[in-house]
Amino acid sequence: MTFGSCLYSGHCVFAQTDQTASKLQAANTAVEQAFNAVLDAEKAGANVTSLLAQLNVAAGILAQAENSYRTGDSNTAAVQADSVLPIAQEATIVAQEAKQTAVVSGPNAFWFPIAFTEIGAIVFVLALFLVWRRFKRSYISKLHEAKPKVNSQ
Amino acid sequence: MKLEGYKLVFVAVGLIGVLLIATPALTDVIRLPGGEQFSELYLLGPGNMAANYPSNIVAGQNYSVYVGVGNQLGSSAYYVLYVKFGNETDPLPNAALGTPSSLPPLYEYRFFIQDGMNWESLLTFSVSNASISGNNSQINTLQLNGDAFNVDKPAMWDSNSTTFTYQLLFELWIYNSQSGSILFNDRFVDLQLNLTRTE
Repeated sequence: MTFGSCLYSGHCVFAQTDQTASKLQAANTAVEQAFNAVLDAEKAGANVTSLLAQLNVAAGILAQAENSYRTGDSNTAAVQADSVLPIAQEATIVAQEAKQTAVVSGPNAFWFPIAFTEIGAIVFVLALFLVWRRFKRSYISKLHEAKPKVNSQ
Repeated sequence: MKLEGYKLVFVAVGLIGVLLIATPALTDVIRLPGGEQFSELYLLGPGNMAANYPSNIVAGQNYSVYVGVGNQLGSSAYYVLYVKFGNETDPLPNAALGTPSSLPPLYEYRFFIQDGMNWESLLTFSVSNASISGNNSQINTLQLNGDAFNVDKPAMWDSNSTTFTYQLLFELWIYNSQSGSILFNDRFVDLQLNLTRTE
């Protein structure tokens, strides 16, 4: 009955188009939110390479959905838009976790190289100082042992 | 050499050594001013070279170009690349005002690029349902990567260039996280196409 009324009225087509447009909007919003989370994680110092790869999958499907919608294939567009949501939502969660991890480990990652540099520099200067002392001692002792030359007339 | 001379050599070796040891940490602490931040958009021919771009087209035949985007913005970016189709009188984007073409997008790519990385894709296109009659031509269908779009685009005979001129336009848009919207990035590439035969 519903199918029949759809065929004759044409309202069904408009309703489906509106529904697809709202699904596309939801998919767009989900991808943008996921990207915002990934950007935050990146700013916190997290490695976001795999997250962006995951988001690229979602973005590719979203673009296909938009293209299908423009060709008039609303059914395919709706299915594709729906399939974007779980990928984007998962990426958002993983990005938020990555940000937390980066925030916690960030100070350590910053201070460890500095601490190692300081220790390395001190050890190097001390070693060089010891070499200098030994060199200086041998230089002076050589100077003392050196016999003065006698000029004969 | 006197002892003072050796002392100077040791001090110099010490300073150079400390600087070398500290280099990895210094690069983390000292932030040098970065270069210019920008996105790049490019179009290459079917051999992935800046040559042999399709120009004289025949209806029903497939043509391909590579389109690419580079991110030099200092952080990851979300891009949308719109493909538009017009004739010789349709407006191009205004580079001075930074406004996009008023033509509706037919096809789009969406992708994310990390700083310093590139994205590239092959676009295959063909025209069909085309006609040439006297000084008028019309392309009704444009296929982009297998998707068929009704374009119904006429073009007049251009006696200067002796062609029916159409243009395939690529516009780069970018997601702005502050405004939460996708904005025209003031980057576009225009591929001129001359319809020579209908079949």
